[in-house]
This record gives sequence, structure tokens and C-alpha cells, in this order.
Amino acid sequence: MIPARVALCLLSATIPVAAQSVPDLVIKNATVMTASHGTIANGSVWVHNGKIAGIGATVSAPASATVIDATGKYLTPGIIDPHSHSALGNDVNEATSPVTPSMMMIDAFDSTDKALYQALAAGVTTELLLHGSANMIGGQAVVIKNKFGLNREDLLFPNAPRSIKFASGENPKRVYGGRNQLPSTRMGNFEVMRQSFEDAKVYKKEWDDYNTKLAKGDKDLVTPHRDLKLEALADILSGKLYVQIHCYRADEFLTEEAIAKEYGFKIRAFHHALEMYKVGDKIAKDDTAIATFADWWGYKDEAWDAIPWNAVMSMREGVRVALKSDSNDHIRRLNQEAGKMVHYGGATEDEAIAMVTLNPAWVIGVQDHTGSIDLGKDADLVIWNMDPLSTYARAEKVYIDGDLFFDTSLKGFGTPHFNGVMHEAESGGSHDGSDEGGN
Amino acid sequence: MPFLVCHSRFSLCHSRRESAFALALAVASLIPATAAHAQARMVDTTPPAGITAITNGKLLTVTHGTIEDGTLLLQSGKILAVGTAASIKVPTGATIVDAHGLTVYPGLIASESTLGLSEIASDDVNNDLVETSEEIFPNMHVYDAFHAETEHIPIARFNGITNAIVAPIDTDTMPGQSMFIQLAGRDRDAMILTKDVALPMNFGADPKRKDKFPSTRMGEITQLRQALIDATEYMQKKDAAAKKSEAKDSKDKKSDPPKFDLKNEALIPYLKGEKPVIVTADEGHDIEVAMGLAQEFHLKIVLAHVTHSQDILDKIAAWHVPVMFGPIYEFPRANERFDAVYTLPAELTKRGVKVTLLPGDSGGAGSAQSLRNLPYVAGMAVAYGMPYDDALKSITLNPAEIWGVADKLGSLDVGKTANIVIANGDPLDVRTSVKQVFIDGVSIPMETRQTRLRDEYAPKTGTAK
Repeated sequence: MIPARVALCLLSATIPVAAQSVPDLVIKNATVMTASHGTIANGSVWVHNGKIAGIGATVSAPASATVIDATGKYLTPGIIDPHSHSALGNDVNEATSPVTPSMMMIDAFDSTDKALYQALAAGVTTELLLHGSANMIGGQAVVIKNKFGLNREDLLFPNAPRSIKFASGENPKRVYGGRNQLPSTRMGNFEVMRQSFEDAKVYKKEWDDYNTKLAKGDKDLVTPHRDLKLEALADILSGKLYVQIHCYRADEFLTEEAIAKEYGFKIRAFHHALEMYKVGDKIAKDDTAIATFADWWGYKDEAWDAIPWNAVMSMREGVRVALKSDSNDHIRRLNQEAGKMVHYGGATEDEAIAMVTLNPAWVIGVQDHTGSIDLGKDADLVIWNMDPLSTYARAEKVYIDGDLFFDTSLKGFGTPHFNGVMHEAESGGSHDGSDEGGN
Repeated sequence: MPFLVCHSRFSLCHSRRESAFALALAVASLIPATAAHAQARMVDTTPPAGITAITNGKLLTVTHGTIEDGTLLLQSGKILAVGTAASIKVPTGATIVDAHGLTVYPGLIASESTLGLSEIASDDVNNDLVETSEEIFPNMHVYDAFHAETEHIPIARFNGITNAIVAPIDTDTMPGQSMFIQLAGRDRDAMILTKDVALPMNFGADPKRKDKFPSTRMGEITQLRQALIDATEYMQKKDAAAKKSEAKDSKDKKSDPPKFDLKNEALIPYLKGEKPVIVTADEGHDIEVAMGLAQEFHLKIVLAHVTHSQDILDKIAAWHVPVMFGPIYEFPRANERFDAVYTLPAELTKRGVKVTLLPGDSGGAGSAQSLRNLPYVAGMAVAYGMPYDDALKSITLNPAEIWGVADKLGSLDVGKTANIVIANGDPLDVRTSVKQVFIDGVSIPMETRQTRLRDEYAPKTGTAK
């Protein structure tokens, strides 16, 4: 343990050291959409050591700070996509078994995928890269900061919570039913889930008993067998994983919540959730968020009751609503998808911007670090040429942890940290319901 | 009472007196739900009696600029007058639509769609998108599959689209002829404006077959060239036989008419240059090859897609052919700048090319699911350098010209069909809501399957509208 006196010294020492390496940054005269506490006209934001150190009409930054005059421009938190399959190539679905919780998406992550660059140029600074929806219980997600051009490990969001992808409905039915395997119906889908958790309960008890005895100093213990699949399932039961469920229909939200309660875990968010407007009041009570499309619909039966008012209607019922892309295409205009919420349902601009910043940050579980312009948060910021909710808006500068990663005024790619060769993914990255067998 | 709610909220429609127009709408909102729903799907576009006046709106005329405080008169399904509010006298008894604070513009035209060919995309049993047993199918007519009652039509209309091309998708080199429709009518026949309006001819990666001919671009071109040669010979034989019968020279055995052939017959108007062939390709080199073939047969050409044509933009301009561009959301290749495709409509326009922007997303042009976002496609082109007026024209007047209906559609001009949209702001902005659509001068119920679901579940929320 470091003595308090020394710790204080270290703390005070960080200021001059950081000032030497990365100068402070002030973005002034911008319309600042904070996502958490409204919009500030002619506001300034001070970035110190990669964090937001000041917000307001004026900020008390040192004279050495780099100053960007953003007169006439808008400043928002970085856009956050809580449902992406970018940079995972053709490895989105381990569709060989309906329960694959030990698949780690990080093992497929290619940080040079062009999709990351194209998203960065649209102001996307954080993404949740999810397993596909072929399996009732898929794999574990990787959370990235879109520091395109840095080393692979530098893109990993530090200490982000672990998330696991579940699916339901048509996709698992189609994939396994098509092979005459279980599940081929929604009954089969949910029974596969229940059986998995029954197995996990046994496994967890075995380990809990072992650990309890170990803690008591019991010497004659046989270490139980370690099974990656059951271990991941047991982690769900212990609440160590955020559960992210691909789910469309109102009845299935209710079934999922009932199963979660039965086995004692929480559902962090329903993804797609196109029928949430039908039961939003109930789901809001469970504190489960949704990550939904603005207006994508009609690609399959369970997307037939989708309405573009879903997001705003659900929000008015008290559901925390995030918009997401599930697409290498739509990730390039999530700001416009948010703008559509003004059209469909009359969201305020502050509500709309939160749907692509603070709310998806909550879905991922990084809301204390990013997603809004608040003191102490990571300086993940985007300067837009105009109101980002407009069709005409372009991201001009994108900062992550206070560092400039995209600048449209630069020649070539506009990427200060990247001048190498981008990869073209084999495939994948597309909407649920399109070519990839369901993401 | 959706009608009253709507009107008190947006102060859009009111009547100086109890006009037939307002009464009809008020009555429509009172009749039982099922009948009202049927009416929203299939709207009789018989023009109302009398004059409708859309007053004090910001008029985007497309042909003669913006009129900040303008008035439009509609009669018998046509535009009777257009001008400043001060210059136009609203006749007594006219149905007034107060467009104060609102924007009025001609109905948008989508130059590619699968409307009525597909309902739920994954539902293959009901998809009629393309016949794939062979590739040369000029004798396929989308009007034979057109399901006029599709839920997608009211939904596209809801965002201001009043007319569209319906075309087979591009997985054959020659998948069949497209048609031009309006997005309202009492039945299929009332909605189809031009049957067999154009012939798509596709080249590149999409029409390739696995393990059968044609599996390469060489095969695709050979197949197309052979089809055009066969039809040319057929046409010549037919012409010769016609001449023979005129001359009554029965001795010339060579001039017997050919055996009637549906495919060759279908190609004749295209070989004669009477109708456009839609030459569809994405990459520069593919476009050049496909254009070469079309020029070889002196076809009337409209170029389509051209989303990776950066290297031949000047050449495209020199061909002096219209371009159906898009979708603008096609991905740039790896190691291209992020806006490599977004900027192409501006680059083409700059070179004097007549452009119509296609709806769609990276999955392809014209899917029914993305059709309603057509205005935002144009907005995206503006964000990346296309002048606003050109962008608006690219989804109104330009397609009207390309599809041979510029005398009726594409601008707010006297004598044109009264396909009019009233919105609460800039039509190309995602935040804008369309408040009222007129087709043939008829006020279309702003109701869709989706608004019905919204309203059905709305009482719980009360606030979202």
C-alpha cells in the first residue's frame, strides 16, 4: 500500500507531466450538447490529461492549451454503437451449437478493418462488438474505443464490463431447425436456455462448495473440473456478465424476463426490441434498456410490427433507449438515426442525442467513463459542422481520450494515427435479416 | 378523432366553410376501423369537386425557385395556379389548406423500388423479385406480380414519395421490364402509369451464376450480345415480312415472318431506341464494357448505380446519358477515403450529368424497407457537395424527365398533376415530418400499418405521436 503522503505527491505530479506530453485542449464557442445536462450555447470544453476538466461558458484552462475555435459548430460526446459486428470478419457466429458462451469475440477482432475507419469518420468512438444471433446463448463481446491506427490492444476499452450475447426467435430456429436439430421452435429455444442454466447451477454449486471449503482451510479437496462453457454460464448466474438479448417480440421480452428472474440474473438490454412499444411499461420496471433501430423493419416476420415510433414511445414509458446500427452501413450515420427520433415521436434534440451517446454507454456499462460531456469523463468528443441531428451534418474532428483520431481537413484518410493498409472484412457486419444468417 | 387531433396540432387543414373536402375526411375518421384501413391502403384518386387552395406555404417549385409565401390552387387533379400568396386570389368556396410555416413541394419520385414485389423480405414464398431460372427475360413484366395493396406503399407515401419505378432486382443480366407507378389509386390499374417503361441490363458481379453459364463477365456479355443479335434478326425478318405483305410479293420465301417469340418481341422497342435500357454496373471498368455493348446496338441508355466510377467520371459526362446514381451508401473500398462514394453525386452534377438519386442502403438499391428514406439520400448528397437545388431536382424533375413524364410530374407548375407534399420543414432533413400528401389532387389519409400500430398502443403512453 502506498502511504497517503506519497499518493498525494504522485497526484500533484501528474499535472506537469501530462502537460508536457499532451497539451491541454480547449474547444470554445461551440454549441455543446452534453447528453446528460442539456445543451450549452457558446460553450467551452477543457480537456486535461485525456479527461474533461471543464465545461461552461468559459473554462479556466492554462494558457498553454491548444484552442480550437468552434464558432458555429456543434460539440457532442463521441457516438456509441451498442450493437456492432464490425471488425469481426466472417467470424460473427459460432453456429455449431445453440449454446456457446465461451466464445470470445476478441479472438476474431481485426483492428485494421475499414469498417472501423468509416465509423470513426462518422464520429463513432466506442462500439460493443457482439456475437451473432444464431445461438440462444452466443459469445462474449469485446468493447472497443475506436482508436483507429493504434495497436490492436490499444483499441480495447480498459476495464469495460463483460457482456454476453443471447438471441431468441427466428434466427436460432432457422439455423438449427434447418438442420433438424434442437431448437426448431420458440419452445425449443427457451428450453435450451433453461437446460443450460440448470447445468450451470450444478456446476456453480460444485465450485461454490469447493471455494467455501477452501476458504475454511479444508485440506482434502479435489479441485472440480473446469469447463469453459459451464464457467461462462455460471458467471451469468453470478451476475458477472451483462446479458444482451437479441429479441423482437413482445411475448418474448416477457418470457426472457421471467427466465432471468427464475435464474436470478438481470437483463441489461434487449437488442432490436422492435415491439417494445407494446410492453414498455413492464420492461421499464425491470430496468432493462433497449438497443433498437430507428426505422429498419419488415425484413422478416418478427420485424413486421416494427414502427419508427418504437424508440420514443418506449422512452416515454420509462425505458432507457439506445439506437444501434447492427450494420457497417448504418453505423456511419447514427447521428441521422437519432435525428429521425425528432421526426418519429417528437423527441427533443437532447433526448435524441442521448440515444446515440449516454444511453448506449449505459447498455455497455461504460456510462461512468464516456457517453456524455461531464467533468472527469473521458474526452471522447466530436466536433460537427452543424447540428448533428441534421442530414447535412458531418463529423469534422473526432477525439478519443483527448487525442485527435479523425480530422476531415487532413488530406488522405483524415486519420492522424493511421497511414497503413486497411483490411476489407471477408463479410459480416450486416443487418440482422440480411446475408449473414442473422447477426 | 385522428383528423381533428391532427389538424388542431399542426393547423394544417381547415375549411372556410364546411367544404366537401373537410367533410369527407371527417366522415372517413368516423367510419368503422376496418373500412377506414382499407381506404388508407387503396385510395380512390378520383379528383375532388371544386378547388383546393394550399395557402401561405413556402413553395419549392423546382423549376422556378422558392416562393417564400406562396399559394397553390388545385383543380381536377391538376395544378391550376402557383405563385405568391399576394398574386393568387383564392376562389370563394375553395377548400383551404393552411400551409403557413410549412414547406410545399412536388411529390418525390423513386427511380428504383421493389414495391408490390415483396412484403416481408425473408418470406420467399411471397417474393416476386426476379425470375432466376434463366437470365435473359425481357418478357418478364413486373405488373404481373405487382401487389398494389402492399403495406409498403402507404409507408413510402408517408414520407412524401408519390411515384416510383418498380423493377426486378439485378441478379439476372436482363431480368425483365420495369414500370412507373403512382403511390395511390383505387386498384392496380389506377396506380400503374406506364407499363414496360424501361429494360434493366445488369453487368458485373451480381448476375454471375455458380457452376453454370454465365459464371464470368465474359459469359454475361456473350449472353447479352447473343440476345440482342437474336432480337435484331427477328426484328429484321419481321420488317421484311411486313414489307413483303405490303408489296403482296408471295414469291419471296425468305421473307416469311418469324415464329412469334415473346422475348424477341419484348426487345423490339428497345432495339428501335423507343424506350430506355438501364445499363447497370458499379465499377468503372464494368460500366465501360456494358456501355460498349449498349452503344454497339444503338440503344437509348440510362446508366445506373455507378457507385465506384471515380476513375471514369469525365467519360460518363461525355456520354451525355442520364445517371441513376446509388445507393449513395455503398461502401468505399478498403483504403479509399470514407466519403469516396458520398461525393460522387456532386462530382457527376458538377460535370453536367443529369442525376437521379436512388433509394436504398448498402444492401442494394430500392429495397422496400429503405424506400421511405429517399429524401435523406438526397440530403446526404448535399452534405457532400451536391447543390441543394440539384439534389431536390434529382428526386423530382430529373426522374420525371428520365421516365418521360416531365409534362405531368416533378415540379410545381400549372397544368401538372397535383402530386403535392406538405411538410413541417426541409424535405431532405431527417427531422422533418410530412404532414399531408396529395396525389391527383386528392388528400391522402396519412395512415399506414405503422401509424395504426402506433395509435393502437398509444393510449398507454399518451404522449408519443
